[in-house]
Amino acid sequence: MSALPVILGLLPIAAAFALTRRRRLDAIIGMAVFSLLLASAFFLLHAPDVAITEAAVGAALVTFIYVLAIRKTGRLTVVASEVPGLIERAGGQITGFEYEILERLAGRLGLDLVVQFVAREEIEDILLRGDADLGAGGILSDSDHRLLWAPPHLPTARFVIASRGPAAAVTEPVPFRGYVADTIDAVRRRSTLCMTVDLARFLAISRQNLDAYDVRRIEEDAETYAFVLGRSRGDLHRQLSALIVSLRASGDLDEMARRHFP
Amino acid sequence: MRRPRLPLILTAVVLAVAFCAILIADFGFTGPASTSVERFVGAAERAGAVNMVSAIYLNVRLFDTLLEVLVFAVAVLGVRFYLTARGRPEAVEKIPESRVVGVAADVLLPLILLVSVYVTIHGHLSPGGGFSGGVIAGSGLLLAAMVAGTDAVDRRLGGRFLGRVEWAALLGVFVLASVPVALGRTPLSDLLPAGTPGAIGSGGSILLYNMLIGLKVFIGSWVIVKHFVDHRGEI
Repeated sequence: MSALPVILGLLPIAAAFALTRRRRLDAIIGMAVFSLLLASAFFLLHAPDVAITEAAVGAALVTFIYVLAIRKTGRLTVVASEVPGLIERAGGQITGFEYEILERLAGRLGLDLVVQFVAREEIEDILLRGDADLGAGGILSDSDHRLLWAPPHLPTARFVIASRGPAAAVTEPVPFRGYVADTIDAVRRRSTLCMTVDLARFLAISRQNLDAYDVRRIEEDAETYAFVLGRSRGDLHRQLSALIVSLRASGDLDEMARRHFP
Repeated sequence: MRRPRLPLILTAVVLAVAFCAILIADFGFTGPASTSVERFVGAAERAGAVNMVSAIYLNVRLFDTLLEVLVFAVAVLGVRFYLTARGRPEAVEKIPESRVVGVAADVLLPLILLVSVYVTIHGHLSPGGGFSGGVIAGSGLLLAAMVAGTDAVDRRLGGRFLGRVEWAALLGVFVLASVPVALGRTPLSDLLPAGTPGAIGSGGSILLYNMLIGLKVFIGSWVIVKHFVDHRGEI
């Protein structure tokens, strides 16, 4: 039988493939391939009973159980509020400065990156419930002690956008809360607004005609963007902090910022 | 108050009695010659099964298989026990599958179950048997669970009743193995006649063992899959 030496030669290759994969799903597929090869080897060695069992248990059942087990642990779940330049959907893909950092983090940890876009105001609640690992999308680092804050990755500033007229003058500006697309819509419709927004969102909004609004920069504070994590994600927080520190030291962070904010 | 688990207690008692009976009784294996290939081949031929492998593990060396079934039962019990203790996440969000999965499940599930039954009841005639047949059916149910959700599939199968059937099948295997002792025959000797080799009704009680083990492994592997889905991930 000439197929047997080939299969026996492929077995250690499949095993090495499964062992060396960083991404868990790839490793599981490697093990399933190993099982199928082993089943074929058993069959060629005139042990069809063992072959059937190996195929049913190794290639099917165990693979399914592993896939189920990693569906949660194999993913890096990010809740993000969409911000042009930082993290945004463009032509079926997600791009942006923050997304690039998260991709590097996921690659380093061997996890699949899953991004769910939500309104800005929902992020903290989702993280507190533990339904996601990490929050992103132009979050200004602050001192919410219920959450873990990664080191700042980009300096920013805050702007006040207020409708002209006596009614708006007395209103206190509220921090940005919803979707940036809704705000751009509101500006286009010239609705009444009085809010503070961060630099990246301001850049996106300022592509509209802002004639109907007073715009001023808040000078007193030096704001920065940062990622935010739930309290139980201490390990992830350490990894992310180390990544940001090393990206800053190597100058990659500046290069990425120049690329996304020319 | 915990209500007494009669089937569990009954199973435990019968297992203990059967185990002691088997240990105390004479195995009928005498000396090193008993492990020779010729002896097994001869015994397998006398068992009347075309598939010699099943003749060995369900007739000549039934003792090994009994303990193997027990190992599987303990493994299922372990999964059930530890994953139940971990608690179930509140709202498991069902990831919507595409229509392709639904249509494929409609077409494939009956075929998978049919193959599983065939592999199980032809265990003494062709490669296969209760272990592989049960695992095939158990994994096939995962396909149904992907479409309908584990709870719906579990309800369809009878929910808690399923667990009793699992233990009843295990009990059945051990009762079947202990009957020769009760009848005063050599322990682990076959009850039923060998029959015509090649016929579905041949091979003594191998067919019965395969059906019981198939049922047990089918429910056991479904229990494992269900607990992993419910407690470790979403489907």
